[in-house]
Amino acid sequence: MSTSLPSTLQRQQRTSRWISTAFSLCAFTAIALFFIPAFVIRPFRYQAPRALFVAMALRQRAPLGTLIAALACFAFAFALWKTASRWRRSILVLTLFVVAFSAVMARLNYFEWMFHPIAGPQFLAQSDSKLDAKEMIMAVRLGDDARAYPISQMAYHHVLNDVVGGVPIAVTY
Amino acid sequence: MWTRTIKGRELHFYLAGINNQNFLMRDKETGTWWQQITGKAIYGPLRGAALELVLSDELTFGEWRSESSSGQVLAPVAKYTKEYDSNWEPDVAKLPVVISFPGTELKSRDVVIGLTIDGAARAYPWEVFAKQSPVLDRVSRTPLLLVLGPDGKSFRVFLARIDGREAEFFLQDDSKSDAPAGGKNWSLLDTTTASQWNFQGCATSGPAQGKCLARIPALKDYWFDWRNYHPDTTVYRR
Repeated sequence: MSTSLPSTLQRQQRTSRWISTAFSLCAFTAIALFFIPAFVIRPFRYQAPRALFVAMALRQRAPLGTLIAALACFAFAFALWKTASRWRRSILVLTLFVVAFSAVMARLNYFEWMFHPIAGPQFLAQSDSKLDAKEMIMAVRLGDDARAYPISQMAYHHVLNDVVGGVPIAVTY
Repeated sequence: MWTRTIKGRELHFYLAGINNQNFLMRDKETGTWWQQITGKAIYGPLRGAALELVLSDELTFGEWRSESSSGQVLAPVAKYTKEYDSNWEPDVAKLPVVISFPGTELKSRDVVIGLTIDGAARAYPWEVFAKQSPVLDRVSRTPLLLVLGPDGKSFRVFLARIDGREAEFFLQDDSKSDAPAGGKNWSLLDTTTASQWNFQGCATSGPAQGKCLARIPALKDYWFDWRNYHPDTTVYRR
């Protein structure tokens, strides 16, 4: 009796340590999958080719990766919860919050929050346009269709999926 | 501008990030990453694929309107009109750059016209071009004609050949007279057939009347961006 008690405790501690490590690992994975690409691909900063490659690779895998990691994190946190002290619980909650945030952000395109896309482009007849004669436009003619895209608008939206003269084109600026 | 069909499959692009101030887009269908300036797939399932360039123009609205009466104009989206910056060119020019090429002939934010012929890239500093237009040049043995429009802002690049014969072009003197906003008096004269040519590259009178010069795709860009994607580019010197 006197020897089995400490060994049970030791075993519990070992299991708890193992789960803590697993929790930290999956938390790190989820957070890294979102934050590394977000950090590398940010405006007004130099993107080194290798860093960009890593960022794209992570971002590509982030939606599924963060989901799996987040689910695992929640499971491990649940297992740790009963025996955890108060301050450990608050660390668990805080970490879970950042993990959940990463999993959500991995699914959202925040670049489109800064520069909204044009959902359904509308067009005006040339004579109805209020553009100034001096305004710069990008012009394309395919078949019988001629279209103009004001640069002031495209410099904000950046990308437009359009069909001109039956040809699907991407207008980019 | 690019076509967005790869191997018969139509793609839809969205803004996905930035690579040294040239934006990255991804397609909804495969998630592949594409570089805007090159139209090339740089990461993902379609990596290595390249979009086909669509010939387009950078013109003033006035010039475009004078050339075609039936065109359509992208309508502003009411929600975002506050975000549109009709003063974008000087505003963007003030922004910092993250890559630069010290020791090269131009400054990072110098505007150039960039073109590539048979793999050889050349940049024409806008200021030199605008002063000198029409510019006659040769890249990879291809004779080129670069022309500033009658509005002083639009530009086009043509193959300087009429019926396969190389030709030289000069701005006609009457262009200096009181040309109306549409630039009706504006014309080029070629030395091979002595025909008059308009800014669309078509002969309006003379022996070549009705003929049009072939267009060469060219891009108005900042030097740092052009140089970054065309490390072997040469720079036009007058």
